[in-house]
Amino acid sequence: MRLIPLVCYAAAAAAYGGHFAWRDARVGRFATALLGGGLLAHTFLIGMQTVQAGHAPLVGTTAAISAFVWLLGLAYLYVELTSEERSMGVFVTVLLVMLGIIPALDAEISRRPPVLQSPLFTVHVMTMLFAYASFALAGVLGVTYVLMFKEIKAKHLGFFYTRLPSLRVLDVMNGRAIAVGWVFLTIGVVVGGIWAMQVQGSQDPRAQAMSLGDPKILVAVLSWCLYSFALYARRVIGWGGRRAAWLSAIGFALVLLNFVPVGYFLTRSHNF
Amino acid sequence: MTMRLFAVGLSHRTAPIELREQVDFSRAGVCAALERLAARNIAREIAVLSTCNRAEVYVAADADRAVDGIFSFFAEYHGVAPDDLAPHLYVHHGADVARHLFRVAAGLDSLVVGEPQILGQVKSAYTVASEGHFTGTVLNRLFHVAFAAGKRVRAETGLGEGAVSVSYAAIALARKIFGDLEGLRVLILGAGEMATLTGVHLRAQKVRHITVGSRTRGAAESLAAHIAAEVVDWSELEGAIEAADIVVTATGAPSAILTRAGIGRAMKSRRERALFIIDIAVPRDVEATAGALEQVFLYNIDDLQGIVKENLARRAGELERADAIIDTEATKFAAWLQSREIIPTVVALRERFEAIRRAELQRLQPKLNGLPPEAQAQVDHITRLIVEKLLLAPTEQLKAVSDNSLAASYSDALNRLFSLPSPDRSDADEPTASKPTGS
Repeated sequence: MRLIPLVCYAAAAAAYGGHFAWRDARVGRFATALLGGGLLAHTFLIGMQTVQAGHAPLVGTTAAISAFVWLLGLAYLYVELTSEERSMGVFVTVLLVMLGIIPALDAEISRRPPVLQSPLFTVHVMTMLFAYASFALAGVLGVTYVLMFKEIKAKHLGFFYTRLPSLRVLDVMNGRAIAVGWVFLTIGVVVGGIWAMQVQGSQDPRAQAMSLGDPKILVAVLSWCLYSFALYARRVIGWGGRRAAWLSAIGFALVLLNFVPVGYFLTRSHNF
Repeated sequence: MTMRLFAVGLSHRTAPIELREQVDFSRAGVCAALERLAARNIAREIAVLSTCNRAEVYVAADADRAVDGIFSFFAEYHGVAPDDLAPHLYVHHGADVARHLFRVAAGLDSLVVGEPQILGQVKSAYTVASEGHFTGTVLNRLFHVAFAAGKRVRAETGLGEGAVSVSYAAIALARKIFGDLEGLRVLILGAGEMATLTGVHLRAQKVRHITVGSRTRGAAESLAAHIAAEVVDWSELEGAIEAADIVVTATGAPSAILTRAGIGRAMKSRRERALFIIDIAVPRDVEATAGALEQVFLYNIDDLQGIVKENLARRAGELERADAIIDTEATKFAAWLQSREIIPTVVALRERFEAIRRAELQRLQPKLNGLPPEAQAQVDHITRLIVEKLLLAPTEQLKAVSDNSLAASYSDALNRLFSLPSPDRSDADEPTASKPTGS
């Protein structure tokens, strides 16, 4: 059962790739249907895990990655259906597959330790994941912007030029994704901070490791600084276009770094 | 006699412009040409396709001699000596007509391969013919399949993609950079012929804000009046660049009028909003190094021509795929046409069997009269069933024959073996193209 969403995402990635290469609208609709099917299966899976565990399956990095994949898929599907623009699909679904492998291999649902039994914890995780999903979209938009920008600057209009929407559309969507992501990231960090202060007295060693010195928290704060700068630079210095695109790509790389390697191997405060 | 399909015509491939002008059907109206042709009573269905690059007549007729009739119609209708015309006319028969029309509709036979207008022209040619009731089953199907084939080629190949003229290449680039053109601000520098053409072209693309600047204020004003644009004073150039999204330069200045430093200053004060500069002047109006500025996209006339060349090459590369689609559609149409040709034989064969059945029942009527009515009905039913069963396999086999000569020989053999009456028309419901000519 837990493999079904991954298989659907992989099939959708292949179909989106086919759509991107051949530009056949039927293949594109098929890809959307596969993604929709995968998300539906994923929703069921998360629902089942919730029933099984008695709480939302958000404890631990693996569960968080699964929830992130689900949120990103939903967010992308919403953007696709409202903008009728499928060319980002291949980039997003490849990301879904790459991250989706981790929870698909590990079926274990972590029990919620006493220290996490607070509504603030759920709010913290959900807002952070939503921010990350926005940043993932911004990152994809940034990468595609740079690819097409290069073609236009080099006066060699090729593969991406014929397949992507206009630079301005990519730039505007990128700006919005970063703004939305920043709002959620801010809420997530603040709520996380409040919650960390509340559990300071706890005996749990992880609660005591909650400080700026912990890699997970440090990188999260760094990415908050980076996205804040991206927002400021766009509005004040006029860093739209390629510079904003690069910032969003670097920002998402930072987010991924924090999410997977730091989450699994380095943090002492977030290893639930 | 079965229905034959022909196309007779000339195009930019076979005839010089002088001749194409002479045989232009659209001068007096395609409708008039259709009526005159119909009045000659040489074909059942007719359609006339007339564009500036081609003049073609499509007919479905009973006999091969219809071709001669159309040849002489071409010459007489346009008042051209047949000997002058004949070397330039081409004739297509049967399935080749389908292949030719599908190629035309898909833009494969156009001067600029893949140009999109031709599909619309083929559609309107068909609309005129069908509204005047000049078409029937065969041409209706032929043209509808042609529209579908044209659309398929457009959708499934890159044949229609990429601008193939400098001005469209520039417009396409602007769309790729800015998306919608409507709300953009365009600054045109220069007031000569190229500047005017650009202005007219941009207006046609629904660009609302156009500003014109020229060293000679009067020239700028007259161009501005021509395309309903505003005028900017030459001394306020930098301010105008600051406000613009697209700058088109087409002045006759001997050296660059926009420097990298100047554009750089404007970019700073416009907070790095993207600026698309199209320099179509020779010698160039804009310092080439300005293209290195972050959000400046600078294209000169050679760059645009390079894109056009690349697009043309790409279109040529798509020809093979387009031809494969045309082939599939033409083969399908040919099979349909073929299955129609065998229909008269099938009908005659069935009529023959039915006649024999009725005759035998008639002969046995005195004996049958002694039976109760239900039994009489039973006899009728059983005999009908036997005939049906006997004919089922041959009918299916006949309809499945796709080879032209094989179908003809089958037809011939059946006619002889069962001494079928040779049908003189293919379909009873076929409308004829010979309209009552009252007008």
